[in-house]
Amino acid sequence: MTVEEQIREIMARITHVDGSIITRESTFKDIKADSLDVVQALVAVEETFGIEIPDEEAQKFQSFGDFVSYVENQVAQKERV
Amino acid sequence: MSLEGKLALVTGGGRGIGRAIALKLASQGADIVINFFRRRDTAEQTAKEIEALGAKAEIFRANVGDPAKIDEMFDMIGNKFGHLDILISNAASGVGRPVMDIDVKAWQWTMDINTRACLLCSQRAARLMEGRGGKIVSLSSLGSFLVWPTYAVVGVSKAALEALTRYLAIELAPRGICVNAVAASFVETEALRFYFEEQLGKGNLPITPAGRMVATEDIANVVAFLCSEEAFMIRGQTIIVDGGFSLYNPLFARERKD
Ligand SMILES: NC(=O)c1ccc[n+]([C@@H]2O[C@H](COP(=O)([O-])OP(=O)(O)OC[C@H]3O[C@@H](n4cnc5c(N)ncnc54)[C@H](OP(=O)(O)O)[C@@H]3O)[C@@H](O)[C@H]2O)c1
Repeated sequence: MTVEEQIREIMARITHVDGSIITRESTFKDIKADSLDVVQALVAVEETFGIEIPDEEAQKFQSFGDFVSYVENQVAQKERV
Repeated sequence: MSLEGKLALVTGGGRGIGRAIALKLASQGADIVINFFRRRDTAEQTAKEIEALGAKAEIFRANVGDPAKIDEMFDMIGNKFGHLDILISNAASGVGRPVMDIDVKAWQWTMDINTRACLLCSQRAARLMEGRGGKIVSLSSLGSFLVWPTYAVVGVSKAALEALTRYLAIELAPRGICVNAVAASFVETEALRFYFEEQLGKGNLPITPAGRMVATEDIANVVAFLCSEEAFMIRGQTIIVDGGFSLYNPLFARERKD
């Protein structure tokens, strides 16, 4: 599974929406994710990929795509070291 | 009052009330482990301030709502220090909703962080206090018995925390551990400003009969007292620090005008 697919699955599990409606353009509101859902998704993603997403960064995510891109970058950086 | 040579763990110690408590205990000589969750920046900053006071500081990231993370944190303390003298169960979270909108997820999240974490941390802490005694202080809220808008699930978690405090106090007494809680009303922190600005609009912060808002340091002072030997005979109590807010009756407002 790609990073994007794994995050989509986590998001869908937490918000109880059908994963297929989640696109890179979706906002958290589109996915029906409230602030608690977002924190729980952050925690689950951090654990899945062994990374830490600082709050300052997370607050910048406007869409699901922003979230995925950030994690993809972190994962790529981690693999490089 | 000296806490020289003591080690304290403050959950949620990076900012707000937890930060003030960490600094107060450090100023009395205690070394501090600061637990944080999402804000590494403020935890690091507070650790620097503690070190500037001449005490040791260690930061540890753990979601106290997750029992496995609590275990990791206490394993670290056990391995690195081998003991603990003071546990401040301060970290709290919550979902602000009217009762009709509270779902299982919101309930569980709040209870796990605000109430269960205190039980699990106290159990692990008590083992690290073996043979030396210790102090446990948790942070409660007047919302445990007063009713505030959208505060239900947090209020309930705090009521349970106060009951837990009483049980811990009695059952841990034979181990030389003093357990108490401090209940705050409205303390000027980020969380509070957020809550009030949402509920009452900007600039509408409540003032207490004491004439100003309760500051984080006011809470830290009482927590530090409960961590001192002078408070040895206080057990299982929830001390209210609210500048008189919970006793205030609107009739007094009329009296003042006359
Ligand atoms: N402020 C008030 O008016 C008031 C009134 C009554 C009672 N209280 C009680 O006093 C205590 C401190 O309140 P505060 O106003 O200082 O809180 P705050 O400013 O909202 O800060 C919350 C603290 O808890 C930590 N935290 C939250 N969830 C956590 C988790 N899952 N695991 C570990 N740490 C977590 C946060 O860590 P990060 O920094 O890493 O996010 C932060 O340090 C709480 O128990 C609160 O209920 C406060």
